[in-house]
Amino acid sequence: MATLLNILSSGVFHASILFLVASGLQLVFGVQKVFNLACGSFYALGAYLGITFVDVFTGRGGPPLLAFIPLLAAGILLGALGPVVERGLLRFVYNRDESFQLLLTFSVVLMLEDVIRFFWGTYPRSPKGVYLAFGTLHVGGAAIPVYNLLVIAASLLVALLMGYLLEKTRFGKIIRATASNSEMVQALGIRSSVVYVKVFTLGTILGTVGGALVIPTTAAVSEMAVHLIVLAFAVVVIGGLGSMKGAFLGALLVGLLKSVSIAVYPELEMMLIYLIVIGVLVLRPQGLFGGAS
Amino acid sequence: MSRNRRDFIKTAGAGMVGAGATMALGGQWAWGAAPEGVPKEPVKIGVMAAQSGVMAVPGVAALTASKIWAEKVNQSGGILGRMVELKVEEETGAKETVEKFKKLTLQEKVDVVVGLMSTGNGQAVGQEAEALKQLWLSWDATTQKGVVEGQPVANYSFRSVDNELEAIAGAIMTAKHFPNIKKVAGINNDYSYGRDCWESYCRVLKMYNPNVSFEESIFLKLGETEFSAAIDALAAKKPDLIMSSFWSGDTTIFLKQAAAKKLFENIKGCFTTGGGVHDTLKKEFTPEGLILGYNSMYFRWTDNWPMLNDFIKIYYERTKTYPVYECDHAWFVLQAYKAAVEKCYSLTKKWPTKEQVIEALRGIQVPSLSGYRGYRKDNKQECCFFMGVTTHKNPYDFVTIDPVQIFPSASIQKPEGYTFDQWMKEWEKQVQELKKT
Repeated sequence: MATLLNILSSGVFHASILFLVASGLQLVFGVQKVFNLACGSFYALGAYLGITFVDVFTGRGGPPLLAFIPLLAAGILLGALGPVVERGLLRFVYNRDESFQLLLTFSVVLMLEDVIRFFWGTYPRSPKGVYLAFGTLHVGGAAIPVYNLLVIAASLLVALLMGYLLEKTRFGKIIRATASNSEMVQALGIRSSVVYVKVFTLGTILGTVGGALVIPTTAAVSEMAVHLIVLAFAVVVIGGLGSMKGAFLGALLVGLLKSVSIAVYPELEMMLIYLIVIGVLVLRPQGLFGGAS
Repeated sequence: MSRNRRDFIKTAGAGMVGAGATMALGGQWAWGAAPEGVPKEPVKIGVMAAQSGVMAVPGVAALTASKIWAEKVNQSGGILGRMVELKVEEETGAKETVEKFKKLTLQEKVDVVVGLMSTGNGQAVGQEAEALKQLWLSWDATTQKGVVEGQPVANYSFRSVDNELEAIAGAIMTAKHFPNIKKVAGINNDYSYGRDCWESYCRVLKMYNPNVSFEESIFLKLGETEFSAAIDALAAKKPDLIMSSFWSGDTTIFLKQAAAKKLFENIKGCFTTGGGVHDTLKKEFTPEGLILGYNSMYFRWTDNWPMLNDFIKIYYERTKTYPVYECDHAWFVLQAYKAAVEKCYSLTKKWPTKEQVIEALRGIQVPSLSGYRGYRKDNKQECCFFMGVTTHKNPYDFVTIDPVQIFPSASIQKPEGYTFDQWMKEWEKQVQELKKT
């Protein structure tokens, strides 16, 4: 029982972070048809700025239990990068071959790695006094950090809000319409460039908030961006490129699989995940929730 | 097998006398122009340091130490009056690293190359060094099997101590501090260093504590940042002690996530190389009572070694952190090179050839940040390893160790001419014979 609960809690926690980043990736791909590798760097930037904000917050007497405020603030503030990257770089490659888009976003990864190194150095960093302040929940012999549960809840809330935004609001309809047929949307008098900026900014914020929320549980290290890109790639392939439901299910599957494999046979962790990726690519190339290819 | 701090300071003190003699010998050039027989142009030293990814922490630290060393040497007149000029290249993948090594050698025409941490890169560069007849003094990059298989004979390459020594020291510390443990579990990285450390640790601990049993270690890929599932898996094994050879940010993350799951409330721990990121091991999540290894340099090992005190002050002013082991390796190789050149000049009155420097390096002893250390006749480094038990009783927000145990590599590294396995078997035989008597 304890083992099962441990595997579940670890897997779902990991999945919740993966979902935040992958949903940003999916949103951008769904609308702009760009596979944004820089999502991993946005995640890393969120983590590093989150540490700075939390340290300032707690350093000025802010209670660690309210650390969500500076963390979210850091994540949202970094959304300002969205318009800069979209208008400054991405818009030039929308109609180019996919390999150009991948090269461009990968170059953003490398540049942002240097930016991180310049401002925060190479030493591992983590915010002080937040993670353990939330305590640990003991259930059925399993020890589950309360902060992890809050991150899972926050991720679920984001999933619900995204669902509401896409299904129930006018902006959501525009996003879906642009994803489906951007020329038709332009013909209706909606500037697709504005939609692209907004969507990319939203995608950026999902990544930066993901990084900011995860950082109290871990430490920011220079390799975290690339590490996440590898997993996010698996999530979107399994779930289906451009699908939010796919991001949710793919993240859950990858998170749980990672957790189970570490508990049973850790050497096979990545192999198992990528066996499923290969299986999906062979049997259902559009992914579990992707549209027909 | 181990010495206490006082013994070591005595050894270091004796070494200081030697250092004084060397300084006096070299003093005639120290503050003047280049003497006769010495070219006027700067000495070019190639430095190959990792600056990104998981190796960035020790890589950048070592690069900083190299720069501080060069500044200090230049301030005191350079090497035989020649200023030192560092040519820095980044250590990346094996192929690129070899290309950069070639560039430093053929294009920049450096006198010596120092650096590298990855054994894979070291294998490739080691062979290139022999082919190009370029002197290469490595910082690390020396796991047992990697070097035995990849470069059994070295002439122009001078290697670090075997990278598994901290695991051997950790096993001795475990036997000493936790003699009653029955079951050990491990969590290590899934590459040569992680696997060799686990194997060495188990083998040595078993010699001194035959009653101990080992669960299969969890091997995770290098760079992993999420350990919740691994921590649960470790707890499920119900060990008395967990051993880990993590040496970078993974130590910090693992200990933090372990604290949230109360892993070390009833389980002991031995982190053979965690001191590599020592000031990120905050008291809030790093418990007291863990065995923690600092590799070849512990910033608090003594107050009586001016070279260390001076370095820590400069390093802290620049980085706002306390130096880690790779600083000592970087400092030592440069210091050794300088001493070897000066030694040659004292005999020939000419700037030495690479081959002469190589001869002078073999068997050399020089002062470094961690005390006296040197090279053996088989081109392998010697140094001391610092290990201890974590304590919160210090003025910092991170843990330190007390008591400090110092292991000279001469007592925990395979002797010249032995393979690791031959040496282990010899050691096991000696322990058996000792038990019989």
